Amino acid sequence: MGPGSRRSAAGRDDSLKSMGQDAILDIVDVKKQYGATQALKGVSLRVGRGEFVALVGPSGCGKTTLLKQVAGFESPDSGRIAIEGQDMAGVPASERPTSMVFQKLALFPHMTVAQNIGFPMKLRGRAADEIARTVREMADLMHLKPEYLERFPRQLSGGEQQRVALARSMISAPKLLLLDEPLSALDAKLKKILQAELKRLHRSLGVTFVHVTHDLEEAMMLADRICVMRNGEALQVGKPNDIYYRPADEFVAGFIGETNLLDVEVTEVLPDRVRYRGTDIADVDGILSRALVAEDVRPGPAKLMVRPELLALAKDGERYPSAIAAEITETFGKGGAIQFRAVTPGGQPLVVEVPGTSHWPARLGDKVRLGWMKRDIYLLQARA
Amino acid sequence: MIGEGEPRRWAQPELWAKALPSVALQSLFFLAPLIMTVLLTFQETRSFMLQWAWSLKVWTEIFSKPHYWTVLWHTLWMSALCVALCILIALPVAYALATRLQSLSGHVKVLITFAFLTDMTLKTFGWVLFLDQKGAANFLLEKIGFPPAMIGFLYTDWATLLGMVYNLLAFTIFTIYLSIANIDRSLILAAYDAGAGKWRAFWEVTLPLCRPGIWTGAVLVFLLSVGVFLEPKVLGGGKSPMSAELIRQTFETRVNWPLGAALTIVLMVVAVFVILLFSRVYSLRRYGAAA
Repeated sequence: MGPGSRRSAAGRDDSLKSMGQDAILDIVDVKKQYGATQALKGVSLRVGRGEFVALVGPSGCGKTTLLKQVAGFESPDSGRIAIEGQDMAGVPASERPTSMVFQKLALFPHMTVAQNIGFPMKLRGRAADEIARTVREMADLMHLKPEYLERFPRQLSGGEQQRVALARSMISAPKLLLLDEPLSALDAKLKKILQAELKRLHRSLGVTFVHVTHDLEEAMMLADRICVMRNGEALQVGKPNDIYYRPADEFVAGFIGETNLLDVEVTEVLPDRVRYRGTDIADVDGILSRALVAEDVRPGPAKLMVRPELLALAKDGERYPSAIAAEITETFGKGGAIQFRAVTPGGQPLVVEVPGTSHWPARLGDKVRLGWMKRDIYLLQARA
Repeated sequence: MIGEGEPRRWAQPELWAKALPSVALQSLFFLAPLIMTVLLTFQETRSFMLQWAWSLKVWTEIFSKPHYWTVLWHTLWMSALCVALCILIALPVAYALATRLQSLSGHVKVLITFAFLTDMTLKTFGWVLFLDQKGAANFLLEKIGFPPAMIGFLYTDWATLLGMVYNLLAFTIFTIYLSIANIDRSLILAAYDAGAGKWRAFWEVTLPLCRPGIWTGAVLVFLLSVGVFLEPKVLGGGKSPMSAELIRQTFETRVNWPLGAALTIVLMVVAVFVILLFSRVYSLRRYGAAA
């Protein structure tokens, strides 16, 4: 993608202002280099007070590096990080109003659960009985059984250790809670429980969360806003639905869930609408309103994005504003949903997902028509 | 986690069969000589000849003469000082190697290993040349304006201690280095994040977590330093012999094998007792919080 499109992607980050919030965290053009690799290539991000922001991206995209700069474990080569308007340059991690939940939890093995949770208060020189009382409150808030307090972390299960780590991070009442993939090592069921717990904590405490994860579903479920990163750049910042249905480019579209990207040709770009045509696509008028088109789309090759669950199997005689003919090549039952793989006469692969039913609406080898509503698609500039 | 599985069943016969070679070796080369030494203490020497006569003569001599106990006490005291100094010096060195000087640590470790493998006798005599009244140290100090013969502690206990610490320091550096290098870096970051400065993080997290390394190094250095005879002879001038030197003299000069064997057993029992005492204190401190 070109520099122009990057600017337009960054320009999308206006949701904060529209939410009327003041920024608690302001990251401006932060760069960080490790040897020959540029881990952060100028990332900017504003996080509002009380927001839940998820940083997502494939491994090595720089999301954890960005978190380390905010926590103060490392200092950026250039750029500015401000918390509540205060420049954090030169402020050590121990004096920042942030608290980190580590990927490997980093519970102190030589301390009991109670000593672990109370550690930040002990460092601040609080009285022992005050610490003990607050530790009990935090344990209660985290649904940790009181008898666990005198055990050592290694005697607890993975999920309970998570709760201890969260309690330790929350006890010092940080302004900013930084979560570095703390749920990544848990099994699916436990993960769901702790995700719900995180959401509940965020709502009840009103603390700002910055959550790093490579799990998109987790980010979509938890976050108010998502920042998609790749190769040390923030590609797009926005509400989960905007990112899902209005991705900035093909990478974001493909990274956030499964999608269909159909080859089309844009013939004309007008201020209020765009004219296009696609080889296999039967469209009533070949016109899309500007709201359904990415800002950087120019005449020439483009991609029509439509999510699998927004494609429908058209029954005989049923008419859709847009449709495409295809042959079913594979079927998967997913319980709550049925997924079809299909291919168009022109050879373009498609994924369709329909709600699960007791009888299957189509079989392998069936020739079908897939229809969609105009409002359900998005037109992207094709990658050079 | 290790140790939380099913307990090993020692009753299983095949387990004994597997352990047999090891048990046999241990008995042959460790237990048998030890038993022979114990048996030796109940014999007598008459006119430089070992008499195979059962008697308690040697033991009555040991318990009636305070000299032997003075030497033993001196040995324990010197060893304790040596252990304390080795740990105090090794801690910052090991910490620096494991953290700040990580890039250099490979080279430094090779240097320490070389110094460690160089013959102890050579190194100990090297210190004599260095510390002598007309030795290298005094020569250099005089050159830069200090009064002549400033360093005059050769042939005192201080020189002995210096030699012991010098020869045994590597053990503590390596054990402590290993335990610090094995500490998960995120634990230190978590301490900073919780609000700890560098010193506090060291005191609250690094130090407790490298205690096994300190402990292992201390045990090694203690056991080796109660057996030291070269340093008190060469650097201490043989003025206040330590137990190992006394034992050597008893065997070689006095040719009193039963007495030498008895002194050996006393030294061994006392050393093991000290180790057990400290391991008891150590384990109490370790699990005291849990109880």
